Amino acid sequence: MTGTETTTGPRDTPGGEAPLLSVRDLSVVYEPVGATPTRAVKDVSFDVGRGEFLGLVGESGSGKSTLGFAITALARPPARIEGGRILFGDVDIASMDHEQLRTQRQGGFAMVLQAGMNTLNPVRTIRQHFGDIFAAHRHVAPARREARAAELVRRVSLGPEVLDRYPFELSGGMRQRVTIALALSLEPQLMVFDEPTTALDVLVQHAVMDTIRALQAEEGFTAILISHDLGVVLESAHRVLVMREGRIVEDAPSADILHRPQHEYTRMLLSHFADPRAEHVSLPGIEAPEPAADGPDGPDAPAADGPDGPDAPAADGPDAPAADAAAADAPAADGPGRRRPGAGLELRVEGVTKSFAPPRRRAAGVLAVDDVSFTLAPGGATALVGQSGSGKSTLAKMITGVEKPTAGTIHLGSTSIGPLRGRALRELRRTVQMVFQDPYSALNPLSTVEYTLTRALANLTDLRGPALRRRMLELLETVGLTPVEQYAAKLPHQLSGGQRQRVVIARALAADPQVIIADEPVSMLDVSLRAGVLALLRDLRERTGMSLLYITHDLLSARLITDDILVLHEGRVVEQGPTAQVMRHPRDEYTIRLLEAIPDPARVHGA
Amino acid sequence: MRYFLQRGGWFALTLWAAITLNFLLPRMMPGSPADAAIAKLSQNGPVTEETRRAVEAQLGVPDGSLIQQYVDYLRQILSLDFGVSYAFYPEPVSGLVAQALPYTLVLVGLVTIASFVIGTLLGVLAAWRRGTWMDALPTVGGSFLTTFPYFWTSLLLLFFLGYVAHLFPTFGAFSATTQPGLDWGTVVDAVYHAALPATTMLITSLGGWVLGMRNAMITTLGEDHVTFAEANGIPGRTVALKYAARNAILPNLTGFGMALGGVVGGSILVEQVFGYPGIGFLLFNAVTGQDYPLMQAIFLMITVSVLVANLLVDILYGILDPRTRR
Repeated sequence: MTGTETTTGPRDTPGGEAPLLSVRDLSVVYEPVGATPTRAVKDVSFDVGRGEFLGLVGESGSGKSTLGFAITALARPPARIEGGRILFGDVDIASMDHEQLRTQRQGGFAMVLQAGMNTLNPVRTIRQHFGDIFAAHRHVAPARREARAAELVRRVSLGPEVLDRYPFELSGGMRQRVTIALALSLEPQLMVFDEPTTALDVLVQHAVMDTIRALQAEEGFTAILISHDLGVVLESAHRVLVMREGRIVEDAPSADILHRPQHEYTRMLLSHFADPRAEHVSLPGIEAPEPAADGPDGPDAPAADGPDGPDAPAADGPDAPAADAAAADAPAADGPGRRRPGAGLELRVEGVTKSFAPPRRRAAGVLAVDDVSFTLAPGGATALVGQSGSGKSTLAKMITGVEKPTAGTIHLGSTSIGPLRGRALRELRRTVQMVFQDPYSALNPLSTVEYTLTRALANLTDLRGPALRRRMLELLETVGLTPVEQYAAKLPHQLSGGQRQRVVIARALAADPQVIIADEPVSMLDVSLRAGVLALLRDLRERTGMSLLYITHDLLSARLITDDILVLHEGRVVEQGPTAQVMRHPRDEYTIRLLEAIPDPARVHGA
Repeated sequence: MRYFLQRGGWFALTLWAAITLNFLLPRMMPGSPADAAIAKLSQNGPVTEETRRAVEAQLGVPDGSLIQQYVDYLRQILSLDFGVSYAFYPEPVSGLVAQALPYTLVLVGLVTIASFVIGTLLGVLAAWRRGTWMDALPTVGGSFLTTFPYFWTSLLLLFFLGYVAHLFPTFGAFSATTQPGLDWGTVVDAVYHAALPATTMLITSLGGWVLGMRNAMITTLGEDHVTFAEANGIPGRTVALKYAARNAILPNLTGFGMALGGVVGGSILVEQVFGYPGIGFLLFNAVTGQDYPLMQAIFLMITVSVLVANLLVDILYGILDPRTRR
């Protein structure tokens, strides 16, 4: 470091020691070519003391990652630091030239990127990754490098054999651990973790966070944890910054955020955070629309007064909470959802097993689903819960007839799904519909909402012409996208994530399905939007009498909208029963581990 | 290892299929060269059975069972015996091909390799310094030159540099006075004659490699592992070469394999315009002269070399991309 002692530095931290990082009036602007610039970070100021563990929380678009990239000097065009200063120790990082910046990354600030497939170079081994860093900074003597790399991977609870592996040969959790070890090899003073566990399974997420906390305590580096998950942040950080629309709206110790939130937005985020193990669980979106100004993304409850023309002007913007709660609770018999007369077929899964052929000779085959049985009553809701690889998606594929079970039967009413072919299978698709995880890729970006829904209706129903269009508008109204004419004309990129997911749900409703299989429908959405989509699913179930098979790893949402639950582990059902009872009194060891992996800030900061 | 054996196995299988198709297809087609010749003769009067047999024997119409023919065919291929050319009677086809092949291999082969290497390097540079003149010049220049058709560029070069300025010869691979041999003068003369066709092909093919590499690399530069490498303070040159270019070159390599496979087919247009005695020139003559044995031999050779090139690329891919080895 080429630090010079100055006294004009930022204000001291309460301990009297100069802060390690000091951000003053920082603004970052995105200037894409040929588009209007947007300010992602607006006049942000904060200090981080040495050895502190700071949390940075916000929803997508809040500017938290942009801020993270700015303070690690990784902001690249079209992002540009528009104003303000970032002081690392005593040095303004804007004053460092390219080479100074590069060399100070050893012993300076490091960044751990969001867990994804691509944080590591796919064509280099882990050993080569370490080698590149050691060669770049020469802070470890060549003779000691091998031992140092092995020591570093051991610090993140991995064996030295991972050094010989390529990234694609490691699991997501292992890759993230390697990434942390690589950042650690720089011996940084400050480590910024950008959503380090977001793409990982619950249990893995829990274990990786434990590793990060333990490392921070041992090594004493300063840490900034950027996450959308308030639970994770509150559990780990000493202090939390809450960010919204580019500004820090609250900056307080974790315990204060948890118990005495000051800002309305913090309170809103907290209100969407609940413990599924509690006796009574509720989120604001389920019983009342959230106060967020997301417009049509809050449930608009057109249900109570039935279809009153496609341009219902009343349903513009969020309604009063009380009125909406009433609407959601009253099953409207003649709402636009149109309960089918005598609707309701029972879905019966009996002893279903699916094994996949071994990838090569002499290797063992994969038993994806192992002897699973359950019944989904008409109008009922069942959750399928488990980690990735637990077989829950394979089970869903068998119910939709995409995969054939190796053994066992699946009945919908009196029809057996297994042997269905051709026309009969198409008929089944009308009755069983899926809602996918990613609303961003489930819609064709070049088609308007109207076209997407019209295609589905034309494929699955006999409606044509004006009747078809009427039904399309009706569907939009059912999912609360009003004014419907306006939404019909939009393209997917003009919609928010929650609105897109509503279009996906509307498409699934096109043929008046009896069963909806929702595969992680809210996991890609911001917390404040989740409750709205969940409320819609529950509401639709009540109005149309369809049944819902809800696939998730998120126990809270399962608790909110399902009656029964199946916990899957390695293809087997390890626990089965009423959702509330299983969550409150889990018996299987795996269920207990899943429940314990849920971040519990109260455990750290007192009840 | 498993991967390479697998690739080798697939190669053998495709090769056999291609050779067999080359045998079967002409036999499944109605009519034969002999029929055509006899039909032409019959316009002048009735054709005797004797004449018919003579024509068939001359053209080598096969007899015996299909299996017997197939075995003979395979044996002939292994001994590189492709019969006698019609157009250059009585030259054997293999001799004609052997004469033309070195010209094409050296000219088109070297130009293809040079074009790939230069184009890819320019692409890397353009992507790494994107937005500067080092990006604009090769990108815009390359795509501008690529839009010119082959023959137009070659005619232009021929006219100005050859005909008007007399800087380069306008025809052939050697001066009429040079006796081909392996001395210095011959090499200089050959290079001198190859300069214009080589330039033509280089100009028109370079832009594709530049653009392909540049775009692939810009995509790679946006990936997280590049950002992470920068965050770890890895020097720019290492990031550019080992983290970006190294990964981005893989799709370009497939294109290179295809191009290499096509080398043996020569460049009909360029060889025709410059009167360059390569395979393309030979193929053109074979087609215009209805020289079936020659055509069949050249087509088979093109098929085989495309397959070999693909095998080489597969092997190279296996070495460069660990993911494919699984």
